[in-house]
Amino acid sequence: MTELRQAYITASGTYLPGDPVDNANIEAKLGYVHGKPSKLKKRILASNGILTRHYALDDKQRSTHQNRDLAVAATRECLKGSEIDEKSVDLLAVASTQGDLPLPGLASLVQAELAIGPLEIITTHGVCSASMMALKSAFNQLRVGEKKNAIVVASEMASRLLKKSRYEAVSNLRIDLESEFLRWMLSDGAGAFLLQDKPRWRGLSLRIDWIEIVSFASHYDLCMSCGTNNQSLWSKDFEQNQKNFHDFSWQDYTSYADAEANGALLIRQNLKLLEDVVKVGVDGFLKLINDGKIKADEIDHFVCHYSSHHFKGRILELLKLAGALIPEEKWFTNLYTKGNTGCASIFIALDELLKTGSLKIGQTIFCVVPESGRFANAYMKLTVVGGRDSGAF
Amino acid sequence: MALSEKEMTLGPKAQETLRHLLRIWLDFERKLISIPILRRLDQRTFTPEDYRTLLLNMRPQVIEGSRWISRAASSFTAEYSDIRSMILRHAVDEHRDYTMLENDFQSIGGKLEDIQSAKRNIGTEALAGYLMNEATKPNPINLLGAMFIIEGLGNKMASSWAVAIQECLSVSEKSTTFLSYHGENDETHMNKLYEMLDGKSIAHESADEIVKTAKVVARLYLLQLEEFDNT
Repeated sequence: MTELRQAYITASGTYLPGDPVDNANIEAKLGYVHGKPSKLKKRILASNGILTRHYALDDKQRSTHQNRDLAVAATRECLKGSEIDEKSVDLLAVASTQGDLPLPGLASLVQAELAIGPLEIITTHGVCSASMMALKSAFNQLRVGEKKNAIVVASEMASRLLKKSRYEAVSNLRIDLESEFLRWMLSDGAGAFLLQDKPRWRGLSLRIDWIEIVSFASHYDLCMSCGTNNQSLWSKDFEQNQKNFHDFSWQDYTSYADAEANGALLIRQNLKLLEDVVKVGVDGFLKLINDGKIKADEIDHFVCHYSSHHFKGRILELLKLAGALIPEEKWFTNLYTKGNTGCASIFIALDELLKTGSLKIGQTIFCVVPESGRFANAYMKLTVVGGRDSGAF
Repeated sequence: MALSEKEMTLGPKAQETLRHLLRIWLDFERKLISIPILRRLDQRTFTPEDYRTLLLNMRPQVIEGSRWISRAASSFTAEYSDIRSMILRHAVDEHRDYTMLENDFQSIGGKLEDIQSAKRNIGTEALAGYLMNEATKPNPINLLGAMFIIEGLGNKMASSWAVAIQECLSVSEKSTTFLSYHGENDETHMNKLYEMLDGKSIAHESADEIVKTAKVVARLYLLQLEEFDNT
């Protein structure tokens, strides 16, 4: 077997559309459903702690960008700070929860707009960990020596699902926590990485030591989804619940208008299962420690696509007792100012961490992306390395 | 899974053991979701018949539980007196638990003679047989692993099952005395157990055995839940 090569994140970029929107203006931006203020907004905002975020919407809820455009802008920002030009890119991996078109894949649209290639493309689709799936694919291609570099970009335009007209289109609308929770949680943005098979000549790079992704979809029901008005239809008790296939997926309805009127196009979160998302995430972390892949006390920076306040109560105490607690001061997040941009969040956080100037050669960064969609969690260990000009390589 | 207010710390070896135990617990908890009767409880389609089935199937295990734990206490020599004391206290706490089960059963329309004559299901046979066998061995420290799973479940049952049952069946806490009781007491028991993991008497091999026993007990406990009414 050929010896595996290393892969490094050598540049990064973020793009957030429009001006930051604070909590006082969020509802005016997304629109008052049937002209009335939300009754749940305050409570949900208080629980997620987000203060500002961005939307690719104007004040009449018309799109100001395509998802593709956010990805392209983040990629250009990333390449601007890199030591290569865009013509040298030989792999483009694009992740999103929802592309601009049901088909083709978002990577095709991003490539066309970037006007690069011919080159290999990857589109990954999922929820929050889709970016890590794209990153791992690219990482492995570099490791086996098939590619020298790759652009991996994660881009989200959730605002299309959150604007008032989506809710107003539902007949006999009964907005509950399940269908409104994510309206005050998600927002738009994109983050991009350049991966190379060697570190930068000058400046810091992040060596990817490993990426682990594990899905528990066969153990749990849907926790976050869009495309069905009844998440329990997709539960493990499928046969028991099976009545007909007329209204399972939004694509089963006679018309798409019917699907929307029936609430099948609202984005939903089953809050009852969120505690299990934390448990599955903790289980994966304990496994990594037990397998010797990470030690809690070697972590210098912990970047988690989850707010620390979700980890509370007994599980926190037990982690502490078991020597597996990462102290609060090691946590890095920009969720509160950049918003929860789904799969782009982890890239946007790492981009900011790289640019804060607080990283030091030899430090360990540990990243966790718990995906509530159907329990797919991603973990990554990075090591900060210095430039090749320092003679270390 | 609870901890007391006061700060508790463990040494590196006990921490490692605890991490293994926590993973076994989390896996066990995930598998519990697939047990039909618990799934109905989770989805709030649980019926009084389900609750009677649950109680009927638990009584034999509770009776057996007090037997193996007393046996285990007698199997420890003086050098393990700390563990023995803990187990003895535990045995005293729980050896008449079944009366609560019987009262709960009657409170939801079950007949005393039905629950008193309930036979062990085949999973309970396996679990009780294994535990009694281990308890008979000299200094069965590995049973700390069994207690971790069983007490942990007691804690979980009280925190979520009792409330869910009250909701589903529109009954008060008076009908879930067994489950509620365990929530309160198993918390203290769990904390004692964590302390024991750090005991000087726990050598490297014992830690491995504790972890293995936790795995076996988790599997057999699930078997007991899977085999409801299969006597």
